[in-house]
Amino acid sequence: MLVAGVGILAAFVILAFMAPYAAPYDPIFQDGTARLMAPSPAHPFGTDNFGRDVLSRVVWGARIDLQMAVIGVVFPFLIGTVVGTLAGFFGGWVDVMFMRIIDVVLAFPFLVLMLSIISILGPGLSSFYIAMALVGWVSYARLIRAQILVLKTQDFAVAAASLGFSRTRIMFRHLLPNALAGSLVFVMSDAVLVLLSGASISYLGLGVQPPLAEWGVMVAEAQGFMTQAWWITLFPGLAIVVLAFGFSLTGDALADLMGVRE
Amino acid sequence: MIPHLQIDGLSVVFRGDDEARILLDDISVSLNKGEILGLVGESGSGKSLLCRAVMGLLPSRQLQVTHGSVMIEGQVLDLAQMQTVRGRRIGMIFQNPTSHLDPVMRIGGQISEGLIHHKGLGVAAAKAEAIGLLTQVGFPDPERAYDSHAHQFSGGMRQRAMIAVALACDPEILIADEPTTALDVTIQAQILRLLMDLRDSRGLSIVLITHDLGVVAQTCDRIAVMRDGHVVEQGEKRALLAAPQHPYTQALIAAHPSVTTAGEHLPPDRAHQPVFELRDLEVRFAQGGGLLRKGKELRAVKAVSLRIWPGETVGIVGESGSGKSTLARAMLGLTPISSGKVVFDGLDLTQDRTATLRRLRSDAAMVFQDPFNSLNPRMTVGETLAEVLRSQGETPEAKIQPRVAELLEMVGLDRSFATRRPRSLSGGQCQRAGIARALAVNPRVIIADECVAALDVTIQAQIVDLFRQLTAHSGLTLIFIAHDLAIVRNLCERVVVMHYGEVVEDGTSQQVFDHPKTAYTAALIAAIPDIDPDRPINGGTPALNQPELTL
Repeated sequence: MLVAGVGILAAFVILAFMAPYAAPYDPIFQDGTARLMAPSPAHPFGTDNFGRDVLSRVVWGARIDLQMAVIGVVFPFLIGTVVGTLAGFFGGWVDVMFMRIIDVVLAFPFLVLMLSIISILGPGLSSFYIAMALVGWVSYARLIRAQILVLKTQDFAVAAASLGFSRTRIMFRHLLPNALAGSLVFVMSDAVLVLLSGASISYLGLGVQPPLAEWGVMVAEAQGFMTQAWWITLFPGLAIVVLAFGFSLTGDALADLMGVRE
Repeated sequence: MIPHLQIDGLSVVFRGDDEARILLDDISVSLNKGEILGLVGESGSGKSLLCRAVMGLLPSRQLQVTHGSVMIEGQVLDLAQMQTVRGRRIGMIFQNPTSHLDPVMRIGGQISEGLIHHKGLGVAAAKAEAIGLLTQVGFPDPERAYDSHAHQFSGGMRQRAMIAVALACDPEILIADEPTTALDVTIQAQILRLLMDLRDSRGLSIVLITHDLGVVAQTCDRIAVMRDGHVVEQGEKRALLAAPQHPYTQALIAAHPSVTTAGEHLPPDRAHQPVFELRDLEVRFAQGGGLLRKGKELRAVKAVSLRIWPGETVGIVGESGSGKSTLARAMLGLTPISSGKVVFDGLDLTQDRTATLRRLRSDAAMVFQDPFNSLNPRMTVGETLAEVLRSQGETPEAKIQPRVAELLEMVGLDRSFATRRPRSLSGGQCQRAGIARALAVNPRVIIADECVAALDVTIQAQIVDLFRQLTAHSGLTLIFIAHDLAIVRNLCERVVVMHYGEVVEDGTSQQVFDHPKTAYTAALIAAIPDIDPDRPINGGTPALNQPELTL
């Protein structure tokens, strides 16, 4: 499983890096003579309504979608981990404060909150990242906090305190590494969610702006032509599914590897 | 005479994905009518597995009985008959009554269930019979116990309730799997006494599984010693204890704390100031309560005054809930003190907290109960030790690795252990690593909190020996907290007895063990399981009237 998952992810990373060489055409070049062409040897994935090569757009789209999945997960993960550790370790009013903030964030439906933040900040990828960081950290904070609460009463934590280690050291050297396994696994499934919400935000026109190639945007733009030219929606959609599958497989394998399910 | 229960050449094999392991190898044991058979062995010896195999309750499909048979009164049991035999002819009780009693069902209901199901009694008749059983197993108010839930009872009473549940179907044979391991010594003695009484009154045949030779010596008629899936020795208990044939049995007997003798100690230095001085120390915890309702307060440690002198080896003993662990944590500044004073080396913890804590962290170290839990699972033993050395800041970087090797050697571990993680160590090795970590501080005082309670008897003896060596030749002060008095008697020159948060007795080991001043200490001492089969359980003294029934 690990091999398959990491293999898929690695393939996409290589594809993204090699995009200029791997893509047969310029992703935004419009060829007026070749609109809505079905897949053929010249255009293996066909062309869209502006005559752009779908294969090239899918390949270039990997750059943006991978970037979204990574940045969209890293910041929530970092913020959530720090907040969760502090809340769990110190307890008391620190804990109460962070937990109430989390309750407030969770009280709104995820997409509604994302959309309102992005519409305040204005459409674009950076707004998406900021919104993701503001909303996504809560799950990580909860996960880590619960782990820290359990771990801090265990003997090795008490032992560390009795040996005079500093609080920072106990928190980040002793407790956090033991608390991290669960959230590292969650990172992988979260990447799938981020990828999908990134695609949905772009679909709604608030994320990546045309003519930039992004899978969600491509699906959105092509929906009017679904009945005549299925290939324009199918291939970017498939790309999303396969990448998501790669993340899930890796997450599953990681969970086994780290003994999260024990 | 046909034995009541006979296990003949039983073998159980674990079939894993790629290998098959023999867990029980050709076991033959027999149990006569009205007899108590003690099945002794350390963890992993296969004693519990054997009983599960007999009951046809193997915990996994990968475990298979490959050879052998089980006979009741000469009749071979096959799997089809198991359903009727289980519960009906063979009853079973377990180590942990809390997890084997249904938490949402009343005790009475659980007993009547068996009566109605197996004996076909009506509801009213079942209730009457259940109350009779509760009386038999020693509930002072059986009617009320009938309508109570498991959580309303203490551990000892729960074990009694479980025995009543097992007896409900009127079995001929009772298998008791470590029935007293989770209980305090005085309660253990009561339960063992109860089992013997039941044997006499009902003619039960009992298989008693335990790791404590002392328990079998005083209750059983015959003993079978198990190790690594083999029965290494079995026989009549007096003969076996007096002249053990197998080297493992000899080692087990030699390791039993009631036979080893106290070690030599350097005399404590009472001329200078004490290492620890506690004055009217109180630790209270808030219990329950909410925003509007004020909760109760639990006084875990009540007005304890103690002086511990340099070089002393002090045992603090008491049963669970006596406040001994809380006391240790309060002394190290790990639990807030409610009132009173802790003075360490002349520094007052309440008045000058930062300075005292700094001194405590560099001069005192703690060893914990659960060896696996007390080491960071993600760090190797070497990393753990090196971290302590670095944080103390006294060892130059270049000397850290040699010092780690030296520490490992002090606790009897090879230096190759430095690269291993706790998970790959055995319990005893892990505990040694924990002691090495305590020694890394180069402490004047070590507080060991129940640090041998989770270990097998032979490993226990090794760790106690290690402590003895460490304290014999240095000025190290050892505060050894334990519920097992026999170990304390072997190791410590002074004993402090705690009961419900108070110090009830304090004196030299000899004085306390030979002439206890309070009835509680006397009862505790009498309840120590002794390997001498002629010494009655509980030393023949009547059971102490304990406020056990918490309804």
